[in-house]
Amino acid sequence: MASKFGLAGGIPERRVRPIWDAIDSRQFKNALKHVTSLLGKYPTSPYILALKALILERMGKSDEASTACLNAKELLYSDDSVLVDDLTLSTLQIVFERLNHLDLATSCYEHACGKFPNNLDLMMGLFNCYVREYSFVKQQQTAIKMYKVAGEERFLLWAVCSIQLQVLCGNGGEKLLLLAEGLLRKHVAAHSLHEPEAVMVYISILEQQEKYGDALEILTGNLGSLLMVEVDKLRILGRLLARSADYDAAAGVYEKILELCPDDWECFQHYLDCLMEDGRSLSNGPAEDRSHASGRAEHHSLPLADEVFNSRIARASSFVQKLLEHTGDNLIRCPYLANLELERRKQLYGKGNIDNLIELLVKYFLRFGHLACFASDVEEFLLVLSFDQQEFTMKLMKSSEYISPTPIKALGQSITILKIQELTGSMYRLPVDGLEDSSRQMVEMYCNNLTLSKDLDPQESMPGEELLSMSSNVLVQLYWHTGNLGYMLEAIMVLEFGLNIRRHVWQYKVLLLHLYSHLGIISLAYDWYKSLEVKNILLETVSHHIFPQMLVSPLWPELNNLLKEYLKFMDDHFRESADLTFVAYRHRNYSKVIEFVQFKDRLQRSNQHTIAGIEVSLLKLKQNAGNLAEEEVILDSLKYGLDLLDLSNEIRSKSLTFNEDLQSRPWWTPTAEKNRLLGPFEELSHFPRDDLMKEREARARTVIEKRSLLPRLIYLSIQNASAAVKESPEANGCDEPKTSLELKSLLERYAKILGYSLSHAIQLIGEVCRGLRSSEVFGSHLIDWVNLAVFCNAWKLTSTEFSLHSGEELKGGGWLVDSLLEKCILERIRPVDSRVDFPRKEMPILVQLVTEPLAWHGLIIQRLLRVSLPSGKKKKKGGPADQSSSPLLAAVRDSVQLLCAAVEEVIKQLKDQMKKLEEENLEELLSSLTKEGRDGGPGRVFRVLESTVSSASNVELGDRITEALKSWSPAEVSRKIVAGQRRMLREFLSICESKHKTFETLRKQNS
Amino acid sequence: MTTIRRFCCNDLLRFAPVNLDHLTETFNMSFYMTYLARWPDYFHVAEAPGNQIMGYIMGKVEGQGESWHGHVTAVTVAPDYRRQQVAKKLMNLLEEISDKIDKAYFVDLFVRASNTPAIKMYEKLGYVIYRRVLRYYSGEEDALDMRKALSRDVEKKSIVPLKRPVTPDELEYD
Repeated sequence: MASKFGLAGGIPERRVRPIWDAIDSRQFKNALKHVTSLLGKYPTSPYILALKALILERMGKSDEASTACLNAKELLYSDDSVLVDDLTLSTLQIVFERLNHLDLATSCYEHACGKFPNNLDLMMGLFNCYVREYSFVKQQQTAIKMYKVAGEERFLLWAVCSIQLQVLCGNGGEKLLLLAEGLLRKHVAAHSLHEPEAVMVYISILEQQEKYGDALEILTGNLGSLLMVEVDKLRILGRLLARSADYDAAAGVYEKILELCPDDWECFQHYLDCLMEDGRSLSNGPAEDRSHASGRAEHHSLPLADEVFNSRIARASSFVQKLLEHTGDNLIRCPYLANLELERRKQLYGKGNIDNLIELLVKYFLRFGHLACFASDVEEFLLVLSFDQQEFTMKLMKSSEYISPTPIKALGQSITILKIQELTGSMYRLPVDGLEDSSRQMVEMYCNNLTLSKDLDPQESMPGEELLSMSSNVLVQLYWHTGNLGYMLEAIMVLEFGLNIRRHVWQYKVLLLHLYSHLGIISLAYDWYKSLEVKNILLETVSHHIFPQMLVSPLWPELNNLLKEYLKFMDDHFRESADLTFVAYRHRNYSKVIEFVQFKDRLQRSNQHTIAGIEVSLLKLKQNAGNLAEEEVILDSLKYGLDLLDLSNEIRSKSLTFNEDLQSRPWWTPTAEKNRLLGPFEELSHFPRDDLMKEREARARTVIEKRSLLPRLIYLSIQNASAAVKESPEANGCDEPKTSLELKSLLERYAKILGYSLSHAIQLIGEVCRGLRSSEVFGSHLIDWVNLAVFCNAWKLTSTEFSLHSGEELKGGGWLVDSLLEKCILERIRPVDSRVDFPRKEMPILVQLVTEPLAWHGLIIQRLLRVSLPSGKKKKKGGPADQSSSPLLAAVRDSVQLLCAAVEEVIKQLKDQMKKLEEENLEELLSSLTKEGRDGGPGRVFRVLESTVSSASNVELGDRITEALKSWSPAEVSRKIVAGQRRMLREFLSICESKHKTFETLRKQNS
Repeated sequence: MTTIRRFCCNDLLRFAPVNLDHLTETFNMSFYMTYLARWPDYFHVAEAPGNQIMGYIMGKVEGQGESWHGHVTAVTVAPDYRRQQVAKKLMNLLEEISDKIDKAYFVDLFVRASNTPAIKMYEKLGYVIYRRVLRYYSGEEDALDMRKALSRDVEKKSIVPLKRPVTPDELEYD
C-alpha cells in the first residue's frame, strides 16, 4: 500500500501501519480493534471505513462490511472536504468486488474522476474498473481522456485495444477499426511508436481491415525495426505478403525463415502453400491464434497451370535439396519430410508417383523410424496410399535390412510399425487369432526389452512403454469381437502389470480408468483418475475422462468434490482474469489483453462448465430429496429453479466451446458420448478419430436445455401438489392454478426436447404403463421419460388433461407413474448370476431411477401428505385436514406401498450381489486366463506376463525392475476389482436404504 | 520437427499430454497468465506436425544491476518428443532473448538436486551449479541453482560458484 508524504488515505502512515500489519498476518480481530480506535479519532475518514470493511469482509461478516463500504461511499459523495485518493478507492474496490458489487466500486471511481477530472491515478483506477466489468466502450473513453491528459503512447494503445475488443468480443462493428487506425496514424505522425507490442497492434488493426499494403509498409519501415527477433518479423512479413496474394515474395520470405530454422514444419507448409498460390492456411490470422491448422486438404482444386505447377515444385525441390546439404544435424527432420510432402502434393495434383512416395516413406523410416513421433509425422502421407500400398510399405519397413542393429533403435522401429498398423487400421482387420498373436507379441516385446531400462531412473520413461497400451487396446478389440469378458480382464492385467513396474505412466492410468468404467467399477476408475493429479486448467481438458460416469454413479461425495473443485477453478479464473488483463495493459503487452479476454470468453462458453453448473444443483437436490423441508431450502437457494430456467431458454442462441483434450481417450470411446463396445462389432476402416464435433454440440445443447429445466419442474410439481389439496380441480371448475399452467408449458417443452408433443408423450407413457409397449421405446432417454411421467403426474393433480391423453386409469385408481417406476426398476433387477453385467449395464440406470424420478415423486408425495395431514392433533372437520379417506390420499397410499416394495427389491438385489461377491471373488475369471493348453481364448498374454515374472533375474533387469516384477500379484488385482464392485454396491445400497426409510415414514404417516 | 512460437492462452487447453507427466507441474491460471502478461517473450511452445505440442518453456527477466538475468521457471517436453533436443532449442531461444534483447548478465534455473538426468542435460547446455538451496522444494528437497553467463558478463563473474549453500529465505527472488 503506497503512501505519499507519510500519509495514507489522509491519515498519518504510522497510525495505519499496525492495521496493515495485522491484516497481513491475518489477525483480523486485532486489526478491527485498531480500526475502531482510529475511527474514534477520524470518524469521517473514508479510508479507515474502507479498511474496516476490508477486515469485516475477511472475517466473513459480509453484511457489516457492506454497510461500512456504503458509509464510506456516502462520505465520499457528500462531504467535499474529505480526501479522495486512489488508495481509499482501491481499498473500497477490493471489498466491493468481493461482495459482488463491482458497479458500486465503479461509481465511486466515476464520482472521484468527476470531482478531479485530470487526476491520472484516479482515471487509471476507473479504467481498471471498466476492465473488470468488460465495458469496452467506457474503457475506450477513459483511455482517450488519459491520452489527452498525459499524451502517453500507452494510453493511446489502451484505447486502441478497447476498440479492438469491441470488434472482437463485443457488439462493435468493424468500422471502429478505422477509428483505431486513425488514432494510431495521427500519433505516429507526431510521436512515432516506441514499444514493439504497439507496432504489433498497429499491424493487426491494419490486417483485420485487410490493408496488407499499409501493414507491410509499417513492418518494413522504421517502426518495424522495433521488432527485435528476426524470425518473428519474417513470419509476419511472410503472412502479410501471402495474404496480399504476393505469393512469390512470400515464398522468398519463407525460404529465408527455413534457412534460419530448417526444422520449422509449419513454415515449410506455408512456403508450399505460397508456391501453390493457396492462401487459405494463412487466412486465419497469426499462427498462434489458431488451435489447429486446417484447410490444406483440397489442393487438387488449385488453378495452377501444369507448367507453373511443375516449375514451382522444381523450385521447392531444389530449395529442399539445398537445405539438406546444409543439414549436418541428424535430428533435423523437416527437410526429409519435406520431400514426402512434395510427393504428396504432386499426388494430389494428379502428377504423383506412388512408388516414389513409398520409397521416400521407407527412407524416412530408415532415418527416423525409431522415434516415438514417427507415426504421427507420416500419418498424412500414409493416408494417401491405398490399403494394399500401405501394407506393402510396412512390409518394406519390416524387412531386415532396414532394422537397426542398435537394440533400442530396433525396438523403436518395431513399435513404429505396430503404431502404423494401428493408424492405418490394418490392426483392426485382423481375425481373432491374428489379434491374439499381435497382443501377445507386443507384450513379449515389452518384456524382452525390459533390460534396456535396467539402469534408468524410475522417473524416466522406459523404452517400449507404448507396447502395453497397444496390447491392451488389441485385447479390448478382441473383447468387442468375441464378447468374451476374459479379454477385458486380460487388458486390465496388462496395464496394472505395467503400472507395477513404473507407476508414473499416465497413459496406462487413463486406459485403466476407462476399462474399469466400462465394467461399472467407477470407484476404481475414480482412484486412477485421482492418481493423475488433475488440477487447474487440466480440470477443463482432462476431467471428461471421469465426469460423465460419475454423474450416474452412487459415489456422491466424490462427485461433489469433482464438481466443486472444477467449478471453483473456473470461478476463480473468471474472477481473476480481469485483473490479469489489467496486468497485461500495465506491462504494455497489448496482444495479451485481447487474448485474455477471448480466452475467458471461451471458458465461459465451455459446455462442460455449463453442464457442471447444472449438475451441482441437481446433486444437491438428489442428496436432500428425503427431506422436503431441506429440499425447499435448496430450491430457495436456486431461486426456485429460475436461474437455470433462464439458461435453458438461452442455450439455443449461445455458442458452446468444447475444450476437452480427446486425443488421450481410448479408440473405443473417442468422445464421452460414444462407446463402441456397447454396440455390435463392426470393422473399422482406419484408426477411428471421428470428428464428432457437430453431433457433440447438438447433443450438449439438448442435455443442457433439458437438465436445466429440472429444478423448476421439481419446484412447480411440489407447489402443484399443495394446490391440488388446497384447491381441487373439482371445486375450482376449469380454473387451473397458476403453477399448473406454468408446469404445463414446461412439460410441453420437455416433451418437445424428447421429440414429442405433450399429448403424444403422455399417450406413449400410458401405453408403456399398461404394457402395450415396452419401455425400450424410450431408448437411451429412459430417465428423461420417467422424469416426465413424474412431473406429468404432479400436473395431473390439478388438471384433467392428463387423464384425457393417457387413456384409462389403472384399476383401483392408482397412478400410472407408479406402475412405470415399478416396471422400470424391476426390469433392471436380474438374476444374481449376472454379476458382471449388473454393475456395468443396470446399475447406472437404477441409480438414476432411484435418485431422480423416484426421488422427485417422493417429494411430491411428501408435500401432498404435509398439506393433507398437517401435524398436530387437532383435526378440523371438513377442512383440508380431514381428507384421510380422500381418493387422493388413497392414491398416495397405493403409490407409497408400491414404491416401497420396489425399493425393497432393489435392496434385496444389492444384498444378494454383495453376498455373492463374498462367496467367491474373481478367481474364476482369473482361472480362465491361467488355463494351459487351450486353443485361443483369453490367457495367452497373461501367461507371457506370468512367465516374465517367474524368470526375472536381477542380473539382467536390475534390482528395481526385478523387485517390481516379483511384487506383481494378479490375485491382488482381482481382489481390488471385487472390492471395487462391493464398494459400488454398498454406496448404492446406502442410497436405497435411505430412500426406503423415507417411503416407510411416508407410509406410516398415511396409514 | 519444431515450430517454436510464443505460447498463448489456447495452448493451455492443448498441453494436457505434456502436463500429465508426473514431473511437470500444472500451475494455477494466474501464474501462467502473469508470465504471459509480463514476459510474453519468455514463454514459448514447440509444435510438431499436426500442431501437437512437443514442449514449452516459461521464464522471466528480473534483477538489479549485475543481477539482471533471465530465469527459466519451467521447461518440459512430452515423452514422445524427448531426445530430440527440443529442450535445447527452447533454452537457446530464452538465452538469446535474455542476451540480445534484454541484455541480461546470465540465465539461471532451479532443479531438484535428485533430478540427475535434468542436471546432466543443463550441464551439456553450458550451465554450471552456482549454489545449493537447502530444502527449497516444499521444505524437503534441496535445489541446485544453475547458471549460464551471457555475453554482457564478460568476466563470467555471475557463475563463480558460491562456497556455501543458502537457505530459501536468503534468495534474492522467488
